[in-house]
Amino acid sequence: MKFWNRFRLRSRGNRLEGDLTDEIRLHRELLREEFERDGMPAVEAARAAARQFGNAGAAADLSRDEWAFPRFDAIAKDVRFALRLMLRHPLLTGAAVLTVAFGVGANTAILSILETVLLNPLGMRHTERIMAARVHVDRLHMKNAPNSATDFRDVQTMTDVFSLVSAAEGRVWTYDNGGEAVRMLGRAVTPEFFAVFDAAPAAGHFFSASDTNAVVLSYSMWQSQFGGDPNIAGRSVNFDGKPYRITGVAPRNFRYPADVSAYSLLTVTPARIAQGRGNNMNMTVLARLRAGVTPQQAIERVRRFSQAQQAADTDEGRDLAKSGYGLDLTPFADFVAGDLRSPLWLLWAAALVVLVTGCANVAGLLLTRSSGRRKEIAIRLSLGATRWQIVRQLLLESLLMGAAGGVAGLAMAKLGVSLVTRASVPGKQLLELVVLDNRMLLYGLGLAMASSLLFGLVPAIQLLRDSQAAVMVRSRRRWFQDAFVVAEVGGAFVLLVMTGLLLRSLWTVQQIQPGFDARNVTTAYYTKPANDPGFERRLKTSLQSAPGVESAALVYPVPFTQGGLTSSFRIRNRERTPGEPEWHGEAYFVTPEYFGTLRIPILAGRNFAETDDEKAPTACIIDCKMADRFFPHQDPLGQEIGMYKGWARIVGVAATVRADGLEEETRPVVYYPLPQIPFFKTAAALVRSPGPAGNLIRETVRRTNPSVPVYDVLSMEERIAEKLGIRRVLAGLLAIFGGISLLLATIGIYGVIAQVVAERTQEIGVRIALGARPGQILGQFLGHGLRSAGLGIALGGVATFAIQKWISGLLYQVKAFDWLTIAAALAAILIVLLVAVWWPARRASRIDPQIALRYE
Amino acid sequence: MGTTNPEFLKGTLDMLILRTLSRGPNHGYGIALHIRRLSQEAFKVGEGSLYPALQRLLVNGWVKAEWGVTDTNRKARVYQITAAGRKQLDAEVRDFDMVLAAIARVMEGA
Repeated sequence: MKFWNRFRLRSRGNRLEGDLTDEIRLHRELLREEFERDGMPAVEAARAAARQFGNAGAAADLSRDEWAFPRFDAIAKDVRFALRLMLRHPLLTGAAVLTVAFGVGANTAILSILETVLLNPLGMRHTERIMAARVHVDRLHMKNAPNSATDFRDVQTMTDVFSLVSAAEGRVWTYDNGGEAVRMLGRAVTPEFFAVFDAAPAAGHFFSASDTNAVVLSYSMWQSQFGGDPNIAGRSVNFDGKPYRITGVAPRNFRYPADVSAYSLLTVTPARIAQGRGNNMNMTVLARLRAGVTPQQAIERVRRFSQAQQAADTDEGRDLAKSGYGLDLTPFADFVAGDLRSPLWLLWAAALVVLVTGCANVAGLLLTRSSGRRKEIAIRLSLGATRWQIVRQLLLESLLMGAAGGVAGLAMAKLGVSLVTRASVPGKQLLELVVLDNRMLLYGLGLAMASSLLFGLVPAIQLLRDSQAAVMVRSRRRWFQDAFVVAEVGGAFVLLVMTGLLLRSLWTVQQIQPGFDARNVTTAYYTKPANDPGFERRLKTSLQSAPGVESAALVYPVPFTQGGLTSSFRIRNRERTPGEPEWHGEAYFVTPEYFGTLRIPILAGRNFAETDDEKAPTACIIDCKMADRFFPHQDPLGQEIGMYKGWARIVGVAATVRADGLEEETRPVVYYPLPQIPFFKTAAALVRSPGPAGNLIRETVRRTNPSVPVYDVLSMEERIAEKLGIRRVLAGLLAIFGGISLLLATIGIYGVIAQVVAERTQEIGVRIALGARPGQILGQFLGHGLRSAGLGIALGGVATFAIQKWISGLLYQVKAFDWLTIAAALAAILIVLLVAVWWPARRASRIDPQIALRYE
Repeated sequence: MGTTNPEFLKGTLDMLILRTLSRGPNHGYGIALHIRRLSQEAFKVGEGSLYPALQRLLVNGWVKAEWGVTDTNRKARVYQITAAGRKQLDAEVRDFDMVLAAIARVMEGA
């Protein structure tokens, strides 16, 4: 009520002031007239009226106070004062704002990514009750492999821990988008799939087991292709030219998998289950935990299940035990995040280190400045300012800096997120979904406010103490500052070591030669047309004759996408020795030009020829690794292996290449002629040409058969770079973070020593006058700086040791506690800090005692 | 300024103004005049201190003000007591009576 009245009165603005003035003037006039009526002369009457009225100015002032919002006005005054101070120290203010901005920006951007990728996968809610089953085969060094139908059945039997179990597998459809053939990713899912996610349809309903040929559209497909038609249920959509009945639409926030357009019904037949474990591993089994069951209990349950399977005294049990086959259970969030998991946590930790060291630095700077304000504070206190007013003033200053830094930081985060969504790394479909939502903005601002309170409170407390007990506490303040420097140096050291480790790994990996010439090669996938048997031959011929093309080949799959197709194989007239695990190799399906186009040498025998076609007996080429491992003391040529389509005769031996990643040793490889193994729906064109050939491939495919969609067009070098993407991005970002924290530490340590020198100028002058040598003075201050630095480095070393297990998964042929890297980081940090300390220390040693003694 | 303790006056002045206005709307000078006459010039206080009190009453919503014309045909700001003001006056008078009665009892008992 009071507040509102004040506000109302105030909102009338200047009239209030005018009213009061008019009113007071009238009052005094009436008084004067009263006195004149009593017979006083005019001059006398005016004086008497003034006396009677009292102090008009004071009356007006007191009246004004009644309307005012006292607290609000005081704060407004403080804000104005703080802004003036900030503008008077633009360098300090700029440094503080930038530091906060960077810390907050990096943290907010990284947390946004963490949120989308890890904490709240794909923006879906309540996924913490969902677990993904994966397969591991120890003898093949296989981890996180997809499931077979038999695994699905196995998980279904564990009804004590799971209430719902679903299976899903990928589908690739060709969709006619207004005359243009588009490749569309789909997912075939069992009817329980949506229930596992506890999802409700955005329109229509989800299908049941009896709805054959039914599809559920993704929300984005519904919007883009059907305009969000609410009566979508019952309409039909063509995939691969086959009509599917739409039963409903997945909810808007349902984005698993991230790039899927529609879900069709998956029926897991008994025949498929009978194929057994390890065969046809295309499925992802997702299960919902039964109420009251913890993820840990379920994980343990699945582990026991796999152990029991291996221990079973049957042929199958012995087989599983021999190959080390078993199921793993992973929380859905970890399953989705995959390889992005540890890099993201690492980056977040690094960004926090930067923010904290940044805060320490700003606190140090403010502390330095505040020593110059001791007089001001003392005067204000003696004039009657309360402690709270002083603290409020100081905190307000840092909060204003924090707010400015926070806003700038959010702008940086916005920029950072838009950069990240374009990063080219495995798992980029996930990153494309990252947005900076309101909660993240709130987090960023909160972080900025918290950090400004942090760096504002210390100087405020210190100043108040200072103003009470003069010189004695100075050493205490320095203690604070030394602690900040220790923290900064420690943080910088940790980040430098990490950066070093990652850079060494990146460098080591980049030194590895894949064994083929990746330059000037463009690759593009296409979907094979259904009723066009001569398509691939025509496509190859027109690619080869296209202008600018040196050579062209067809292949499935392309190196550096997913790796060859892993399969077990047999060798004619040879039995496995007892106890030897199954033989496994990777298969690639290629046309004869493949080896020439990638410049992979054929070391023995012959290349494939055009005559190795559908009608000819199956041929194959093995790589050196396979020849060395399986035919060490004999000629592999003419031997026969069985992997795809019966026995295939080995006609040649090719050099070994790394085709799945520079870091991984490849498994033995078998090449088959592409025309002889027509099982796969997709293949890729591989073109060597001086310039990029993406458009050429697209155009040629369209001319050859317009119903064939082309997708995933990338140069070979881009594919290799993408595999290195995480390493590059991580090393790059950590290098930036490390550089910034080193800079902060440098500024911090410089500031402390410079201030100590300034405070002790007189003392130093006296000592020099009494005969101290400049070297002694220099040594003393160098020692002071290096002591804090040394402590920081020691603490950083301990921290590095503590977090090494985090980072070891991201390293390649570098140990997490790598002495060379640690020594390099140590040398770098010591040199930089020595320079930072040397400057003020040398100034101290050159102080002229004459000037110093007069110095105040 | 008079010698009377201003802190004591603050509350009393509010009450006196409300009491004056309860007889009918009046302008600042009129209120001062009325209080001066009735108290027989006992309050030797500058009439200026009336204005902060009037602002306080306005802010509390106990009086409202409008520009009007005096008997002598001059423009003046006329104050009028509100319903809330009357209630406040009643409460203050009651408190005042209680205090007076208490003081009286103490003084008689002594």
